[in-house]
Amino acid sequence: MTEALRVSGLSKVYGEGALAVHALADVDLSVAAGELVALLGPSGSGKSTLLFCISLILEPTAGKIAMFGEPIHGGGRTVVDVRRFRRENIGFVFQHQNLIPFLSARDNVAIVLELAGGRARAARHRALDLLEELGVGHRAHDLPANLSGGEQQRVAIARALANSPRLVLADEPTAALDTERGQVAMEMLRRISRERGAAVVTVTHDERMISGFDSVYRLHDGRLRSGA
Amino acid sequence: MDLAFKDFQRHPGKFAATTVGVGLLIAIVLTMNGIYRGNIHDGVWLIDHTDCDLWVVERGRGGPFNEPSRIPQETWKRIAAVPGVLRASPYIVYTVQRELGGRSQQFTVVGYDLFGGLGGPGQLEAGRALESPRFEMVADRKLGLAVGDLVRLAVHDFTVVGVTRGAVDSGGNPLVYLSLPDAQEVLYQEDNRALELKRSASLRALEAASLPSTDTERLLPLLDSGAVTVSAVLARVEPGADLAEVQRHVTRWLYLDSYTTEQERDLMLRGRLLRMSAILGLFRALLLVVSIVVISLLVYILTMEKIRSIATLKLIGAPNRIIVRLILEQSLFLTVASFVAGYALISVTQERFPRTLVLLSSDTGTTFLVLLAGGIVASLAGIVHSLRTPPSVALGG
Repeated sequence: MTEALRVSGLSKVYGEGALAVHALADVDLSVAAGELVALLGPSGSGKSTLLFCISLILEPTAGKIAMFGEPIHGGGRTVVDVRRFRRENIGFVFQHQNLIPFLSARDNVAIVLELAGGRARAARHRALDLLEELGVGHRAHDLPANLSGGEQQRVAIARALANSPRLVLADEPTAALDTERGQVAMEMLRRISRERGAAVVTVTHDERMISGFDSVYRLHDGRLRSGA
Repeated sequence: MDLAFKDFQRHPGKFAATTVGVGLLIAIVLTMNGIYRGNIHDGVWLIDHTDCDLWVVERGRGGPFNEPSRIPQETWKRIAAVPGVLRASPYIVYTVQRELGGRSQQFTVVGYDLFGGLGGPGQLEAGRALESPRFEMVADRKLGLAVGDLVRLAVHDFTVVGVTRGAVDSGGNPLVYLSLPDAQEVLYQEDNRALELKRSASLRALEAASLPSTDTERLLPLLDSGAVTVSAVLARVEPGADLAEVQRHVTRWLYLDSYTTEQERDLMLRGRLLRMSAILGLFRALLLVVSIVVISLLVYILTMEKIRSIATLKLIGAPNRIIVRLILEQSLFLTVASFVAGYALISVTQERFPRTLVLLSSDTGTTFLVLLAGGIVASLAGIVHSLRTPPSVALGG
């Protein structure tokens, strides 16, 4: 199976000398295309730091990151146009949905397509299709403030899928939802990996939500180990 | 997708209120521009609209507008006899506060010689110029008078025969044109008690000089009559005459001072108007700065409100130009819409403003450009902040 993500010997140190904090220590991780991966860990374990590094938001102190066989980071520098790479390859699902409040549900999805160079009309049609597919097509013209938490999360997932990413990164996608809605959101992520063949890496602290995941990793004090 | 426009659509009330608020501030800036120019316009209006070449005044006086000047009325004959002078005419100007049109109003009376004299009203909005030497007046429309109205001044009723538009003195007070004798009567009119007191004072002075009673009776009317004075004599010189030579003659032989229209204007601009113009200019600059600061703060606040959305946009791959465009468009919209609102407001209310507002398109254009430049510079702070915001803010990092 094609490898979607490979992280090798990744370390991240905040601060220097006696004040240095080792947020990540020699992390190795491999995620195949279509694989559904959960990163578990308590607060302060380094989950967010790892996600930020994979998202190309944070530069690691050492180690390498490659995606779809292409080196992304290594030798202390990022070798791709970060925003373009994200735009074309990565979809994000956030803890608090982070929908743009002044855009309708449809426009929140369509903007990703327009940023990727799509025509406005085509982007709106595609956005509407995605919202229909996720069961929120009837709320396409509503603003995020008028949607329920579950509906907002579906719109956020539709946005993450808009540019047909090969990698979806989800940061605590169920944290702001009740259990039932959380289960629905997780089921959607499972569908994404199964039906679209996208690798999905989900950071969560809620172990109840990870049933059916292909791989589960635990982070503790910046060290990653495999196992449910 | 135009994000700025979408944001306006989402918050129309907020943007409308902001536009109106900033628009009011800009209206004040434009008003101050108008007052500044209006102050200069009013200050020299009467000088510019008095048809003469020379203003002859009392020696050593900067009159007749910057300080009082009193010269005998008959002086005009001596001026008329100066070589190079074509015509000369007595002229009186003073400011009064009287009941007019049912309310107390301050206005300036201009008295001039009707028959071939200089200093009368120029273009009239309605009616005609003075034709009768007594009891007619031409008044400015600001006084609320119309042709045919009867106005009581001193002890006589005057008929309004003509109405001017925008005829004002250097302080912005409307003008009333009267014939010279009427203007003198209004100015020098004394009530009976005042005349009695004056007469008894003269009588005591004569008695103190131990004059015989027959002489006292003969001298008393002469003492009380006083000399009839005017503020200035206006002169027109012959075509081709040397104005400077005429002025030298007036100074050397008649012991009076004279100013050309340009000198009189300069006297006004450097004297009475200078400090007021400086104060108004300062306020004008301060208000402009305040407007730019307010617009800057608003743009910055609008940007800060969206900082999480901006971080999200960055995370989903929006290039910087999209974010810069969002902030710039909002800044420009706010500036332009507020300017339009302010300009519309001042255009509608200009005629009702108690002082003359002169809105020059060059001033308005410059103010717009300065505000626009200020708005763009102001949005730089928001742009810099946005560009420095890491995408991790969207993830709560």
